[in-house]
Amino acid sequence: MALEDFAAEMDRCSQCSYCKWIPFDQMKSWRFAKNCPSVSYNNFNSYSARGRYAVARSLMRGQSGYSDTVRDIVYKCMTCGACDVSCKVCRYNLEPLQMVRELKFRLVEDGQVLDEHKAVVESLDKEYNTMRQPKTGRGEWADGLEVPRLFSGKAEFLYHAGCRFSYDKDLQKSVRAAVLLLKNAGVDVGIMGEREMCCGGRVYSMGYRNEFTRLAKANINAWAKAGVKTVITSCADGYHAFKRLYPQLGSQVEVIHIVEFINRLIKEGRLTLRSVIPMSVTYHDPCHLGRQGEPYVPWKGVEKKIRNQIIVYEPKKPRYNGALGVYDPPREILRSIPGVELVEMERIREYSWCCGAGGGVREAYPEFSMWTATERIVEAKATGAEALISACPWCERNFMDAINAMGDTMKVYDIVELVQKAI
Amino acid sequence: MTLPKNVYMALEDIVGAENISDDPAVLDSYRYSLTHTAIHLGPFFDTYTPRGAAVLLPGSTEEVQAIVKLCNKYKVKFKASSTFWSAQGYPSEDNTIQLDMRRMDRILEIDEKNMFAVIEPGVIGATLQAEAMKVGLNTHIPGSGCSCSTLASATSYFGSGPSNLYGGWHYDNLLGLEWVMPTGEILRTGSLGSGCGWFCGEGPGPSMKGVARGFIGSKGAMGVYTKCAIKLFAWPGPGKLPVEGIVPAYKTSLPNNFKAYTVAFPSWKAWADAAYMIWDTGIGYLAHRQFNMFGRDLKYAMIKILTDPTKTLGDLEEILEDPEVQRVTEYCKRDFQIILVGMTRRDIEWQEKAFDEILARTGGWKVEAMHEPEIHKWVLLYLIRLGHKNLNLVFGGSYDGCFGLLGSADYGTAHAEEAAEFKKEWEKRGAMVEAGGDCMMGPIGGQGGGGTCLWENFTCFDPHDKESTDGTLEFFDACTKLGLEKGWGVGMEKWNSVARGPDGRTTPKEERDRIHLAAPQPSVFRYQHRIREAFNPNDLGDAYYETLEDS
Repeated sequence: MALEDFAAEMDRCSQCSYCKWIPFDQMKSWRFAKNCPSVSYNNFNSYSARGRYAVARSLMRGQSGYSDTVRDIVYKCMTCGACDVSCKVCRYNLEPLQMVRELKFRLVEDGQVLDEHKAVVESLDKEYNTMRQPKTGRGEWADGLEVPRLFSGKAEFLYHAGCRFSYDKDLQKSVRAAVLLLKNAGVDVGIMGEREMCCGGRVYSMGYRNEFTRLAKANINAWAKAGVKTVITSCADGYHAFKRLYPQLGSQVEVIHIVEFINRLIKEGRLTLRSVIPMSVTYHDPCHLGRQGEPYVPWKGVEKKIRNQIIVYEPKKPRYNGALGVYDPPREILRSIPGVELVEMERIREYSWCCGAGGGVREAYPEFSMWTATERIVEAKATGAEALISACPWCERNFMDAINAMGDTMKVYDIVELVQKAI
Repeated sequence: MTLPKNVYMALEDIVGAENISDDPAVLDSYRYSLTHTAIHLGPFFDTYTPRGAAVLLPGSTEEVQAIVKLCNKYKVKFKASSTFWSAQGYPSEDNTIQLDMRRMDRILEIDEKNMFAVIEPGVIGATLQAEAMKVGLNTHIPGSGCSCSTLASATSYFGSGPSNLYGGWHYDNLLGLEWVMPTGEILRTGSLGSGCGWFCGEGPGPSMKGVARGFIGSKGAMGVYTKCAIKLFAWPGPGKLPVEGIVPAYKTSLPNNFKAYTVAFPSWKAWADAAYMIWDTGIGYLAHRQFNMFGRDLKYAMIKILTDPTKTLGDLEEILEDPEVQRVTEYCKRDFQIILVGMTRRDIEWQEKAFDEILARTGGWKVEAMHEPEIHKWVLLYLIRLGHKNLNLVFGGSYDGCFGLLGSADYGTAHAEEAAEFKKEWEKRGAMVEAGGDCMMGPIGGQGGGGTCLWENFTCFDPHDKESTDGTLEFFDACTKLGLEKGWGVGMEKWNSVARGPDGRTTPKEERDRIHLAAPQPSVFRYQHRIREAFNPNDLGDAYYETLEDS
């Protein structure tokens, strides 16, 4: 796809501003009614999906040109996809999230990049991670776990830790616990260790399509060599990349998030959570596991019109609107833990508020990123919960940083940590 | 930069650098496509409202006042909008400063006892309703839907919608008002002007509601309304709508004192008789001919799609072939939706009996297919929250309403079929969606035992397709011609053409004068001219505040 392929959508966007709010049917209060961090923080129309449609059209037609403001508009989007869900409550022929991605791709192609993103991409080129850390240390998180490294062996299941878990020592107990869970369940699992490469998801959401493709192909090849049939990950970003993006490049491996796997073990009676954890918790749906975590459905077709002017697709086009994201497994896990009381925030599931870490925003606009995370912490605290649980290291890191900055005491856990405590 | 640098800098000093922009890309995100939604003057392919001189995001009444005073000093036109629904929220003249009021979005107070809320411009129907429900109250939501500013609806336009019947049009619901007048002075109207609080729009204090609002609202052309109080009404339901279902087929289960019915009638006369009897008996919480906006031929098939998250528009043709769908479609040709809400169990029982009697007397019937539990729950949520107005544009990306037939139920129903047949013939030409000709939707009346109906006949087209847009414009021109021939007057397809022309800019004065002189009561516009001279001496608004200067 190219930005020009969205010209019709730019004209067909309703300019209704639904993209700025959670689905109206789901609104429970004034305070937590908004869905888009970008327009909520920056306020100008241009920072919403409807505005970005207009900005893209203006750029395409040469009515405006690149400027610091335009770069700000385009890159201050987490590509969290909340706009996409709200738009599609009524519209069946718009793809605002994909359009915004194309807009980012175009800016990168035209050299309109941010230094902060360039640094990440350079780190990827040299070290195969987005954390600007040496690749030699990537597997250290698994030291002492006696889990095979698949660059020298083969296994049916690969556990992919991802960049953040591999280098963020505060979070590593979760991935270590995940691997132990898998081993204890008798899974023939290995890791790539220091040869593990970034999934590419984060640079994709910054606009670096080519870099993503290069990494994806390299990962797909490495998995094929290692005989991997199933990839399991604890990272929502990685899950989305592997589940939704890689199949577009030919990947056929099964992709499972650790919450799906653990929930399966619990349901099959292979894992019982016995220890009581007396704690009220609330669960944050990561964008890439929730609304963007829907399975990829291949489609190749064309637009056509029925009854003169009704726009449909031949053949029928799959509809990604967040309906089939991974929402229930983490909740079922939490409800399985004795003593844990799950209290829901107002914005959940497909209309969850973003953590603020995605789309290159954490790297380029830390203040905006922290504001976004803080908004979520405030919402979490409004439930009365003692802890905020999630299933993505990027969300968890952003929340931990925001809580520190707020001077608050709310706890943040990866869901696997809680499971480990309950075993 | 079209503003002189010193003016821009002075404005920046008022709102801060982060709340002003004249970047061309930002300005282009504040233009409205005249190939688009409910503009009531086109559509005109690939045409936009003029680019503003700058966009500002004021955060307080004081900032608004300072901006307006500066505009007077430098003779710069300005236009405020809250939620930017439709073309009238956008400038029609070059070099106009646009005020985006979204930062002023607080609900300042909900007075539970006196049943009103004090709000800022950025408060939308959905957020106000959600907060009001917590204390057993509700707000009327205008036909433009719950995404729209309640204050804008009350001060600057009709404020009509499905709950007119019980909640009143918003121009009736407007109580105390804080108005930054076009000169920059602040006027507080009604009881607020006497320091007595927000509870009354007409006194004790300056009874200026009519002056402040103007005819059908001032549409952003006469200063800036920065706060208002809005009347609320009883909500005998849960404090939070219990929403279930998979996106987008959300639905709600409400207690037994809530009943949603779709009813249909053997003739238009019976339909109108039922409307009158509903008003006479005083039953009903909300009544609207809603789903007919998809078209007489498509409405039930669309409901099948919208209530099933696995379906898309791509399923439409197959659904339309279903004999049961065809039967129900034929069965509910002349229909409307009504929600009965009982404040007590006896109340709902009485309302149901009264409604059954109305149906018996008029020969009407309940459309059973619409009362299947899952559809019933979907209809309840749809109509109470009115959060799916964007379905207006579901087919091709654009719609506009034609004819209108604004008046009593007898008037609309007398001409409905003729207007529908006329549209049906035009649908065959291909420019617009073929939906059965009758795509008329609108409220079943106003407040207080009677009122008006508005028969907006939805016309759906593709704004990206020149043939579709041009063909729709040709059809709208034909509608106007027919309306004049039949004595119906100019239909709503041209309502805004009195203010804005095909180039997106202000209609020439001669044309405006011609239209206003042909209006039933031209003196209204002469009076508004005098008001504009007094309150807006530097003429810093646009022609959406309609005036006639002929003497």
